[in-house]
Amino acid sequence: MAKKITGYVKLQIPAGKANPSPPVGPALGQKGVNIMEFCKQFNAKTADKDGLIIPVVITVFSDKSFTFITKTPPAAVLLKKAAKFEKGSAEPNRNKVAKVTSAQVKEIATMKMPDLNAFDVEHAMSMIAGTARSMGFTVEG
Amino acid sequence: MKYFREYTVTTDPFLPEIVSGLLWDLETNGIVEEANFLRVYANDDNSVTKQLLEQKLGKLLEQKMISAFSVTEHTFEDKNWNEEWEKQINVIEVSDKIVIKPTFREYKQKEGQIVITIDPKMSFGTGEHETTRIVLQLLEKYVKPEIRVLDVGCGTGVLAIASTLLGAEFALGIDNDEWCYENALENIELNSCHDKAEFRLAEVHQIEEKNFNLVLANIQKNVLLEISEELNNHLLSGGYLILSGLLVDDEKDIAAKYCGFGLTLVEKIQLHEWIGLVFHKK
Repeated sequence: MAKKITGYVKLQIPAGKANPSPPVGPALGQKGVNIMEFCKQFNAKTADKDGLIIPVVITVFSDKSFTFITKTPPAAVLLKKAAKFEKGSAEPNRNKVAKVTSAQVKEIATMKMPDLNAFDVEHAMSMIAGTARSMGFTVEG
Repeated sequence: MKYFREYTVTTDPFLPEIVSGLLWDLETNGIVEEANFLRVYANDDNSVTKQLLEQKLGKLLEQKMISAFSVTEHTFEDKNWNEEWEKQINVIEVSDKIVIKPTFREYKQKEGQIVITIDPKMSFGTGEHETTRIVLQLLEKYVKPEIRVLDVGCGTGVLAIASTLLGAEFALGIDNDEWCYENALENIELNSCHDKAEFRLAEVHQIEEKNFNLVLANIQKNVLLEISEELNNHLLSGGYLILSGLLVDDEKDIAAKYCGFGLTLVEKIQLHEWIGLVFHKK
């Protein structure tokens, strides 16, 4: 018989760097999940994505066991990677700190469609472009 | 004791993907996505503040991507978040010879068995995980009388303690996490091996002694690659190095790195998707 699901936990943590401190500790601890086991598995499975932020959805079962799936990094993280840039602008309206092409915006929008609550790719692209501008990035092309 | 700040962030509309991505521009420990708001966490090492979060969200407002937002803050003390799970730990028979139990479970020891008592407090190494069991099985083979053992990333201290109970002359366990260090000290007392085992709050490069016949590290691939030279430097000629915390796919990179120091891969144990590798130093 399939195990009963008691809840889901959605986290974003750096690849390979999960530890039992917050946010992992309080989020999983209150559900009785073995935090150390989650950290071991997450870190091993994301070791090759070092430097990226990884969203992870953990499914918790009634016997306190768990499974998890990792997702693609948040759009802003992918935009910085596409623009080869570390940090967004402190004054995005005045200081444009980097640029991305509309082809890159489309690529990210397509990749992120399942996570964006967007009606279609065009809507997703406008959200990604808005994110880029709010970071002080110029969208070209 | 460490303190953390938790910021509850709401936006209208709720755009977790967009908002969380922007907030990673600030220094945070991580983000939890709830049904209609985000929790953002920071400790004393992080510069994120309520004001900085509001500045970021203000930019989304300027872009008309959201029409409103709010940020609230509260501070709380770090604690043993794993306590709930730790209450349900059972006795684990790792092999015919080695058994691990918490203090609150009874176990009738059989002849020839070694029973290790471990009460974990937010530390790794209860015997539940495959990698701990892999290394314990290897210790049965590679621990000989009169050897000195170094356990890097010792967690609960279970591997160092097991080494002394299996006959090692001395075992030093080190960890860079305070919870693990405190917990390992408690577990030494539970197993009455304080005359042969020692724990330090340290990184491997801080360990001056380089006279170990057996070096253990059950951590993860990237860390094992990063500290590879240090691990090799602490190992005596003729000694063995046991590595775990590795997935099957990690073997190639790890073997290439350590064989590059002249070590020879002499044994591999696999349990489900996890492996343990043993290297010999000539």
